[in-house]
Amino acid sequence: MRDPATPPRATMMPRAALALYPPSWRSRYGDEVYALLDESGGGVRAIASVAWHALPAWIRPPRHLYDRPARMRASLATGLVAWSFLVGLGLVFAQLTQFQGYRPDGHPVIAWSYLVFDAALALSVLAAGLGGLPLWLLMLRRALRERRRRNTVYLLLPLIAPAAYLVGLRVALQFGAGPQGVSPSWFGIIILAGFAAAGGLAAAAIGLSLWARGFTGYQQHTVPGVYLALVVATAAVTAVSAARGARAALASDAPGTAEANRL
Amino acid sequence: VGDQLDRWADPPLLVLTSLADEPKHGYSITQDVAETMGVRLSAGTLYAVISRLEARGLIEPLESDDRRRPYRITAAGARELARQSERMSRVASLATERLRAYLGWAGA
Repeated sequence: MRDPATPPRATMMPRAALALYPPSWRSRYGDEVYALLDESGGGVRAIASVAWHALPAWIRPPRHLYDRPARMRASLATGLVAWSFLVGLGLVFAQLTQFQGYRPDGHPVIAWSYLVFDAALALSVLAAGLGGLPLWLLMLRRALRERRRRNTVYLLLPLIAPAAYLVGLRVALQFGAGPQGVSPSWFGIIILAGFAAAGGLAAAAIGLSLWARGFTGYQQHTVPGVYLALVVATAAVTAVSAARGARAALASDAPGTAEANRL
Repeated sequence: VGDQLDRWADPPLLVLTSLADEPKHGYSITQDVAETMGVRLSAGTLYAVISRLEARGLIEPLESDDRRRPYRITAAGARELARQSERMSRVASLATERLRAYLGWAGA
């Protein structure tokens, strides 16, 4: 047993277990839990128990430790992380099924998997949008009420930047592409690079608006970072699908392809 | 409060019982519960229970100079513990009575 008056040991596992708790819970009970782990000798089971109870502390926090803005930010970040994981999974799935010699239409399980992924992606987009919307509206309304013009622009940039990119892309394709259009590879590159640039700008704007509103720490980095990852992953999926579709369309127009497809 | 307390099962009652005689800090509560009631409360369970009991005003923290903060039962906590222990007593009495009848009927 250790002297409880001594500072907590900076061991990694108790630290990691307590890091899973909401900040308000951690600042209220963290030292006491450290003291208890020190006195009882710690141990993997005790630390695992501390880690396990972090989940209900998030789901149903005690009334006196309820932190509404922190919960909203955490929900938003978690939703975006989940979405980016889903998109990443979709990329791996597309890579495995489309580029390894399988034909999605030829295998019912793969075809159904595509439908399930599309439905899950649509639902998650909806959930992430609805989940993040109240926070965004709250910040936008406050910025408008307080007449903080720069803040308002930062908050509107996630909408303005992708829209401006799409309009610019449409104009460039209208006037810049040749009679055959752009090649599938270039089309993919344009989509990927454009969305990455627009997403980066929007992510920087979200970060700046969080900073301007006084939010610091992990939220300020996590939310824009996850948003950027999300945009890039979505762009990558779009680019892969679009390039693949365009290549298939070009191939089907090539002489002799119809005969080959029948085989 | 009583209905919500039922859903947590035993640990809140064990902690309230442990604090009924004197204020204790986390480690003392786990030791007391283990020695007198034969139940080992893990650190995670104990502080999940302490945070709930504190939120409902059934226990309160006391000032402390070191990291170990003692807790004591409040008047509301004492009333809740009395109500729960009375209910458990009734259940225990009923169980004993019916068990005796059953054992008599079964010829044990």
